[in-house]
Amino acid sequence: MLLEIDNLCLSFGGLKATNDVTMHMEEKKINGIIGPNGAGKTTFFNQISGVYKPDSGSIVFDGKRIDGLKPFQINEAGIARTYQVINLFKKMSVIENVMVGMHPRLKARFFDSLLHNKKQKDEEEKARQKALDLLDFVGLREFAYTQAGSLSYGQQRLLEIVRGLASDPKLILLDEPAAGMNSTEKVELNVLLRQILERGVTILIVEHDMKLMMDISDRIFVLNYGKKLAEGTPEEIQKNPEVIAAYLGGDDE
Amino acid sequence: MLLQILVSGFVLGCVYGLIALGYSLIYKSSGLMNFVQGDVLTLGAFLGYTFYSLLGLPYWVALILTVLTAFVFGLLMEKFVIRKLLSKSVLAIYIVLATIAIQYILQNAIQAIWSTKMLNYPQIFPVPSVSVAGVMVQSESIFCIVMSFVCMAGLQFFMKYTRFGTAMRAAAMDAKAAQACGINTSLSTGVSWGIAAGMAALAGILLGPIYGVFIMLGSTIGRKGFAGAIMGGYGNMYGAIVGGILLGLVETLVAGYLSSTYKDMIAYALLLLFLFVKPTGIFNERAITE
Amino acid sequence: MEKNKKLPTAKIALGILLLALPFIFTAVGFQYGVLVCCFGFLYIIAVSGLDIDFGYCGQISMGHAAFFAIGAYGSVMMHQYFHIPILLTMILATILAAAVGAVIAYPASKLVFHFLSLATIAFGEIIYSLLLNSPGGVTGNAVGLFTDPINLFGISLSSNEGFYYFGLVCTVIFLTAKWLMVNSKVGRAWVAIRENSHAAGGMGINVTKYKVMAFSVSAFYTGFAGAMYAHLVRYIGPDTFTQKQSVMFVTMMLFGGTGSIFGPIVGAMLVFSITEGLRMFEQYQMLIYGALLLVVIVALPGGVYGEAKKLVVRLMQKRNGGEGNAA
Repeated sequence: MLLEIDNLCLSFGGLKATNDVTMHMEEKKINGIIGPNGAGKTTFFNQISGVYKPDSGSIVFDGKRIDGLKPFQINEAGIARTYQVINLFKKMSVIENVMVGMHPRLKARFFDSLLHNKKQKDEEEKARQKALDLLDFVGLREFAYTQAGSLSYGQQRLLEIVRGLASDPKLILLDEPAAGMNSTEKVELNVLLRQILERGVTILIVEHDMKLMMDISDRIFVLNYGKKLAEGTPEEIQKNPEVIAAYLGGDDE
Repeated sequence: MLLQILVSGFVLGCVYGLIALGYSLIYKSSGLMNFVQGDVLTLGAFLGYTFYSLLGLPYWVALILTVLTAFVFGLLMEKFVIRKLLSKSVLAIYIVLATIAIQYILQNAIQAIWSTKMLNYPQIFPVPSVSVAGVMVQSESIFCIVMSFVCMAGLQFFMKYTRFGTAMRAAAMDAKAAQACGINTSLSTGVSWGIAAGMAALAGILLGPIYGVFIMLGSTIGRKGFAGAIMGGYGNMYGAIVGGILLGLVETLVAGYLSSTYKDMIAYALLLLFLFVKPTGIFNERAITE
Repeated sequence: MEKNKKLPTAKIALGILLLALPFIFTAVGFQYGVLVCCFGFLYIIAVSGLDIDFGYCGQISMGHAAFFAIGAYGSVMMHQYFHIPILLTMILATILAAAVGAVIAYPASKLVFHFLSLATIAFGEIIYSLLLNSPGGVTGNAVGLFTDPINLFGISLSSNEGFYYFGLVCTVIFLTAKWLMVNSKVGRAWVAIRENSHAAGGMGINVTKYKVMAFSVSAFYTGFAGAMYAHLVRYIGPDTFTQKQSVMFVTMMLFGGTGSIFGPIVGAMLVFSITEGLRMFEQYQMLIYGALLLVVIVALPGGVYGEAKKLVVRLMQKRNGGEGNAA
């Protein structure tokens, strides 16, 4: 198991946002988390990525405990992420955004950077080349030197993903990557996610688009009111009466 | 000795409290900082001096005129500088820097209009000092403390029990929701800047007769008012008053029993200590963290 | 292609001009110009440093006069009390400024911008009151301290011309170092933090570490400028290191334009020349800073250099567009 989350709990005030959640995820699979609005999906995500510290429980990634670490340490450990709201470095160029994503893998120390010695120059050149390759991978190479903020919405979403991939993560957390995408873009995203998987990166995805999720996920976890309601293959989930009830109940409100 | 120190500590503390209250009000209503407060205090002291001593108006009239002028100043500043910048959606830090720029412009304007010399108010009350528990206390000091408390209580009443005060609190909590309820949020923001300026000017006309009037009267007090506000819990009304008075007392006690050389330094050190160690202040106000 | 060829020639021409400038000033009988440049150099270094902190990393400081003071007093006092040669004292005092900067920056890095400006103001005031009321009067308190010119391996830089070349070399070194830093992994991390510190953390950047680094580097620059100031003027007193000085640095930076190499150069030279030119109105100096600051904030958000660059880009696009149509 690549990611083992056991008995995770977090409450805000009296509200149990995450209530005794256990999830185990296999390597090189697409894992999906679904749940009605307010089910605590993003809160759950933010504990894995270190934005929130869980009250109790444990998160073990690749054999190493990571709960309570800071976001940058979690990234260093090999977990990259994208954001629900686009969080690019708007005034930096597209390629610089990707190169920021590589930050934890670049070995140059402060004085190497100050002196621009051979070690630093070689590393930067390699990084630049790798960034261009990654941009090629998602079809953004021609925009490498434009400002990230001037890209279209869909392109910005792609850049978020590629910036995450830049750190060579073992696991990438995608927080509603299809939000705001049109149907063509969603199809492209579907293809892209499979290509990411082929590169050996495990995916954990939170998404509202049920069609996309059922189509792409190897395993789905359902959250409701901070609790894990069910887990299984997309087929199992679709047939699960509790899940259906939760979604219908959600619609009533 | 102790009682006298406590009284002057209280006077200073009330002045810090008034200034701090202004910061909290502005922060609550617009999430910004206004560095002009201290110099509005100076302006108030000079205006009061002009109305009272030069034009020969009764002290009460001078006081009301001063506060009103400062209120209008605050309102106009919000309307013509702050609002303009907000509508251009510049970074918030630039707006704070703009208030610093205005601070220096105001300082120099005051210097140009009045003088760089120290001016002294003529005596205000027929009795120069009153005996309190066997210690002679300057009448103006007692007046300053009483007026500050009246003003703080008045503000609480205004915010809690008047329609406009409620609207202002609503706008401070959630501007969009308040707007949806039909509250004129831009008016309420403007008024809070006005009230803040009015309180600073009040502090000036109360302090002027005790300390004398000079250009730099307000600039240190302005910054220490910040320290008071932070110590109490930035954005919290009670915190502002408590923090202000506490700082005034600490400062005067240090000056009285240890050394007056380091009293400013101790005030700033306290400010840093709170900012670094307990930024939410005594009242644990969370406004500062997000 | 033509542009690429032109650039080195322009650089060489600029270099020759800068080297010849003292002679030109002497030839036209404007000796004072040399001194203006000497001050210009040290302000360029100070403001370039502040720009690393604010323009790149997004942290404001309204108390950089404190680091200017640490550089100046540190160097003068080490020379006076321990008889260390002056160039060495300048370097030691600069390192001290950077170290103090790091110590302050660590807790300050968690503060939101306006509380950071408040904290830095408070820090500046504490240093100022220490200068004024130092234990045992080591800083000369209100009287200040007199000191010697820089001694460069036996050559005393007591003339303004001598200091000019020293200042020029230092400026080139500091600006080159800035260019190298900002065009590297470090500079990218700083800008990422400025643009979106949450996302920067999510990308594996240790935000606290890089913020402290930017602040400390910036204190290093300003500290060195302070040491230069002390040995140029050969006298330091507390009045030079008030909040006014911090505001002047910020005004210079914003007036020139942030987040670039040239902005601080333009800002430092322009604002210094303006204040020097209006010396007869010295009592209104703060009014001038205030007005300049307000004008920049309201009308020139990118600063003089930033706005000029935008204008040039627009003109070039127009011209290129025109050529394109013709061809």
